[in-house]
Amino acid sequence: MKTLRTFVASACGLACAIVLPTSVFAQEAAGQPPEHQASAQDHSAMAMPGVEVPKSAQSQPMDMGAMRGGATPAGARNTDDYADGYRNSTLANYEMADKLSVPKVLVEELEFFSGNESQGGSWSFLVTKGQDNDKLWIRSQGLKTSGERLDPESSAEALWWHSKAPFWGMVLGVRQDIGKGATTWLAAGVEGLAPNWFDVQLTGYVGDDGRIAARVKASRDVLLTNRLILSPQVESNLYSKASRDRALGGGLSNVELSGRLRYEVSRKLAPYVGFVWEQAFDGTADIRRADGGPVTERRIVAGLRLWW
Amino acid sequence: MTPDGSFAFPVGRRRFVRTLAMGASLALLGNHAWAVAPQAVTTELKGTQFDLEISKIAVNYSGKARFATAVNGVVPGPVLRFREGDVVTIRVTNRLDEMTSIHWHGLIVPAEMDGVPGISFGGIAPGETFTYSFKVRQRGTYWYHAHTLAEQTGLFGAIIIDPPEGSSPDETVQRDHVVMLSDWTDEAPLQVFLNLKKQSSYYNFAQPTAGDFLKDVKVLGLEQALERRRMWSRARMNPTDYSDISAATYTYLLNGAPPAGNWTAIALPGEKVRLRFIGAGTATFFDIRVPGLPLTVVATDGQPVQPVTVNEFRIGPGETYDVVFTMPEDRAYTIFAQSMDRTGHARGTIAPRMAMVGDVPTLDPRPWLDPVDMMGAMATMDMPAGGHGIMETPPKARHARTEYGANTDMRVDYPRTTLDDPGAGLRDRTWRVLTYADLKSTGPDPDPREPEREIELHLTGNMERFVWALDGVKLNDSKPLHFRPNERLRIILVNDTMMSHPMHLHGMWSDLETPEGAFQVRKHTIAVQPAQRVSFRVTADAMGRWAFHCHLLYHMAAGMFREVVVA
Repeated sequence: MKTLRTFVASACGLACAIVLPTSVFAQEAAGQPPEHQASAQDHSAMAMPGVEVPKSAQSQPMDMGAMRGGATPAGARNTDDYADGYRNSTLANYEMADKLSVPKVLVEELEFFSGNESQGGSWSFLVTKGQDNDKLWIRSQGLKTSGERLDPESSAEALWWHSKAPFWGMVLGVRQDIGKGATTWLAAGVEGLAPNWFDVQLTGYVGDDGRIAARVKASRDVLLTNRLILSPQVESNLYSKASRDRALGGGLSNVELSGRLRYEVSRKLAPYVGFVWEQAFDGTADIRRADGGPVTERRIVAGLRLWW
Repeated sequence: MTPDGSFAFPVGRRRFVRTLAMGASLALLGNHAWAVAPQAVTTELKGTQFDLEISKIAVNYSGKARFATAVNGVVPGPVLRFREGDVVTIRVTNRLDEMTSIHWHGLIVPAEMDGVPGISFGGIAPGETFTYSFKVRQRGTYWYHAHTLAEQTGLFGAIIIDPPEGSSPDETVQRDHVVMLSDWTDEAPLQVFLNLKKQSSYYNFAQPTAGDFLKDVKVLGLEQALERRRMWSRARMNPTDYSDISAATYTYLLNGAPPAGNWTAIALPGEKVRLRFIGAGTATFFDIRVPGLPLTVVATDGQPVQPVTVNEFRIGPGETYDVVFTMPEDRAYTIFAQSMDRTGHARGTIAPRMAMVGDVPTLDPRPWLDPVDMMGAMATMDMPAGGHGIMETPPKARHARTEYGANTDMRVDYPRTTLDDPGAGLRDRTWRVLTYADLKSTGPDPDPREPEREIELHLTGNMERFVWALDGVKLNDSKPLHFRPNERLRIILVNDTMMSHPMHLHGMWSDLETPEGAFQVRKHTIAVQPAQRVSFRVTADAMGRWAFHCHLLYHMAAGMFREVVVA
């Protein structure tokens, strides 16, 4: 029974990691965002009675989502045709700023926590470097308690990020777990900004021990003011099989809901306080119980968000 | 500014004044006031032989000491006064430790004299002197500036070209002043660019908040409040995205003086005055008015237009507007130039005597962009100003295949084509605001040939990632536009973004057309509003390689730039 449940859960996880992002792409790529239906209404609301709108225009969805990305229609202009074979100047000091490789270090979370189980610190950062459409991503997250326990999700990833759509990119690379029972994984996923400003990261993994895993993260900035910003976030991890060393069972491993309230002293420096609620499920919950640990953790956090 | 003309400043005023002096002559007036002698705000150089030296100087506009890039020790650089028909020689020496350049904005010069590094020449290396020499083939108000990020640091100045000896002036005035509007940041321009690349909303502190939402719910009800946000939230675009850079980092300057400096020009009642406005902002459109004083626009981009009297006009980076008026009363009038995003203003005074102060208006609230700024012709029926031509058949934009990629976050299928829109933030004015539809050249079409062919180019961007391009292709991924010698061609620009872009073609005039395709006004910089289509005619009579780009400096840097080859 448990095996079946694990199987279903991991299948769902994989579906999440692979099908969902694909469908997001497909929808955006087809120029038919999920909200397409509603957008036609927007348009009719815009039009004033008695004003003639061309038929062809009327059938155009007025929503922006339909006006980006999508399949290139046959017969679309080729902008290079205007060159008649000419090439750009080769003189010195040509304007090259559009090819700048931009380095960015974003420390999303660097915090101390005090929880029902323990105290400690945790981190989440993203280092990116590259031009507009291709970047190197170094992504890491983790949590360490004062009792020397390292959270099983503690890991670092090295990824190639490639822009696939105006708001979406794909990542491909490796993930290395940190700590006891570390697994090395191949990683593939998508990230981007979904409609209504949801930051989304979906990554699927294949481990060197044959396990399959998925990690899902979504967050959104809620501007209480232009400097006081509440950032609710959800994270979940799924594993196809258990890893005793990391106290991870198979199936849905955890769901973490958090809210962090930061104050942007400057764009680049923001202290915050927050609350994290984390629930273990399935096999992971069983292991926790067996180890005498809590299945639900609640943590109060305080930290710094910074980038440069 | 306090009523007695003093100004509060976070650092010692004395130090501020000293560092701001910049070689320009400053008159310290009264105990707590200072003003700049109007005729001497910047030096004026006249003749046919010019020596310009580019160097760093210490300035303090914000309370922090910084270095600006000066020409002959002043910011803005000296006014260069040419005479039409003369051959001028300008020796420019680079005293910086980096490459620099000067471009003569709007002047019809040979390609190798145009001053664009990498296209006209290789730039001016540190310690090097480059000699520009060209025949002056036009008259009016123009300007010069670095064609590098140094433009942001103050390397610009006015050019006034007088008619040839013996010919009558276009306007006879008793007072003639340059009003150069610019934006200053204490940050290095490259830092500004990187900030925008890393977080495109970096300087926007007027984004809609949860509090705004609650206010809307109270006034409009929940449904309407949600509806108002739906289009923007889905599109992942910000209704307050008027410009990339705000007063969060900018201090807006008028002839190099911050608002507290109150640059002042003298005019006595009854005197006819010409103000030569120059949009030297790197990222700022200014909305200009002189409360109590209607302004008659007589020229734009150096070219005379049929006089049109307005209360306010918007100037984009790169544009110039000459306005005239007769000083009505013995009192001070404020030249008020607020940034289009309503985060700050530049300010000066026109008064019969120094140290007079007029009322300074408060900044307008920043309204949201209108649906027309995202949807083009499909929303024109919704325009609050009303009467904005109902389009029987809006022309459908022809998108390039490169607009279907990741660099383009918006495409407008049916752009609006009318020119009689003053633009977002000015649509609800109760007074007369200039629009492009008001600008008509005094003369006939300078080249009445019908265009032989058309080049359609779309202004595109990815606002979230701060990628700017033409047809979705950035400069260094692009190929040049080829113009055939002496052909008359039509350039069609469609703005597939939510921002206004002042598009500047070097070396040749841009003859703006009416929506119907007839010649309307000769310009060198054409601001294209969001979701708008404009067309202009070009006579390709200037052989060589030229720049064509958005005059928002950081859009140009990000790739909204094409090379043009006339060959």
